[in-house]
Amino acid sequence: MSRKVCVIGIGHTDFNSITPDVEWKELMYESCQKAYVDAGVDPRRDVDSFITCAEDYLEGFSIFDEFVPDQIGAVLRPCCTVCGDGLYGLGTAYMQIKTGLMDVVSIESHSKISDLLTMGDILLHAFDPIFERPVTGPVERPWYGGSPEYPKEDPKPLVGSTKEKQRVHPYFLAGMEMQNYLSTTGTTEEECAEVVVKNKMNAFFNPLADYEAKISVENVMGSEYLFSPLKKLDISPNVDGAITFVLADERTARDLGADPIYLSGFGWSSETPWLSTRGMFADYATKASQMAYKMAGITSPRKQIDVVEVDDRFSYKELQHLEAIGIARPGEAGQMLMEGELARDGTIPTNMSGGSLGIGNCFEATGMQKALEIITQLRGHAAKRQVSDAKVGLAQAWRGIPSGSGAVAIFERGGA
Amino acid sequence: MTFLEKQTDPTTPMHWNGDMQADYFYSNGVAGDKFFKHLMKKDTFLASMCPECGVVFIPPRLYCEDCFCGIPDENWVEVKAQGVIRTNTTAMMDAHNEPLEEPVVMALIEIDETDGAMLGRIKTDMLGMDLTGMMVKAKLRPKKEREGTMKDILYFEPY
Repeated sequence: MSRKVCVIGIGHTDFNSITPDVEWKELMYESCQKAYVDAGVDPRRDVDSFITCAEDYLEGFSIFDEFVPDQIGAVLRPCCTVCGDGLYGLGTAYMQIKTGLMDVVSIESHSKISDLLTMGDILLHAFDPIFERPVTGPVERPWYGGSPEYPKEDPKPLVGSTKEKQRVHPYFLAGMEMQNYLSTTGTTEEECAEVVVKNKMNAFFNPLADYEAKISVENVMGSEYLFSPLKKLDISPNVDGAITFVLADERTARDLGADPIYLSGFGWSSETPWLSTRGMFADYATKASQMAYKMAGITSPRKQIDVVEVDDRFSYKELQHLEAIGIARPGEAGQMLMEGELARDGTIPTNMSGGSLGIGNCFEATGMQKALEIITQLRGHAAKRQVSDAKVGLAQAWRGIPSGSGAVAIFERGGA
Repeated sequence: MTFLEKQTDPTTPMHWNGDMQADYFYSNGVAGDKFFKHLMKKDTFLASMCPECGVVFIPPRLYCEDCFCGIPDENWVEVKAQGVIRTNTTAMMDAHNEPLEEPVVMALIEIDETDGAMLGRIKTDMLGMDLTGMMVKAKLRPKKEREGTMKDILYFEPY
């Protein structure tokens, strides 16, 4: 199959910690409209297939895909929802185009996480219900105006040890994994804090970012231990926003006069869900990157890739992911960071966008945020954060706590 | 924003307060039932060993995730309710972002004589510390109070 697949349009909303003025459909409409204008396509005529990526529970809907077509221009058209990170939608679009089934495909993912009042409970719902979830503690029904049969004074405990009154936040799992990462690699808490400092500083140069800050390692180290060794500032705060891409085959891209960025490699992998037998070194990212490298013909990622965006929803994750995808040798990402190699003028600029620590955690749109930055960099549109002569970029996605799934996409400028 | 009309008065945006009722009756399954029915009578755990690769699973399963083969009845083994901490954390925040009344030490415990691990709470005053490698054993409810759920394991404690 010789068809090449490229990104011909990108669109996104502003990213904000809360968005009480708009509904999630309006966010989606905005990012889609911008992407269609950027690509020069009319969705009702030119887009052959529409993909959204969302998780029912995070959205607050059952059968979320039924709520999709109208706000993305997909009514009575081929449309589907991938229950996963946006990067999985990118892979699905790639396959639809590569096979010749479709010529132009749009992919959307978003976060309206501020609508979700019980995020901790929802994420705990992703733990094994028999052996793991009960250990986190009882379900208490918080009083947000619903369920009058369980008033605030007398919430009904459903699971968990009868002696426990409170339920542990699901991010405890990141604390456990971080401790394992630090003790097995020799990476320090200070090096993880340096990731936060770097990414929040990078975010100053990205108008999309909502959590830019000028802070020091001492500020991070002095922030509250929430899940030791994970501290408050090691955790990316939540943000709302939507991102849309338009993909097309090379010929259609040329006909549309687009400035194409080629999707030259893609891979994905899922770990076992069992904490019992799961590795703690982001093996999902290793496998996904190997698949993507093979497809893109990359044999020496550190030399061949110019700019990288990896999932950094917890500070240590940036370092762990860089090692998992072969950009850093095991245990050496922290050292690379301290030596300035991950900076804009370093050997492998990483998370120039500000990452999730600087932009915010946009949940299922996180992988798209990474890819959006890579496309912006390869287009040469990244202004003050532009990496010079960026030709090949990598975006890596992780599905977040408590998952062990992820994807990697390689983009290239000017022909793959 | 791609709309001509926008909300400009911050005091006016409205909302509907939704509530998603989502209660379930999760079946333990064949392997889970076997584990918990055993735990109601004994102070040990049951694990299951893959007949092809020899990996011993706990929590036990009816199949091996590596070999993708079934695990027969004769491959179930009884193991001590104790193990070694693989990694741990001290949690300070509850699921609703409020401080926990008491910090909770959560750990993954590699159960002796198995290749698996169980999630558990650790009873210790060593808060905020790396307890990797610590030997711990399960504190179980008195047998007459056991109900065949994870609640029967009250916590793990050093020994």
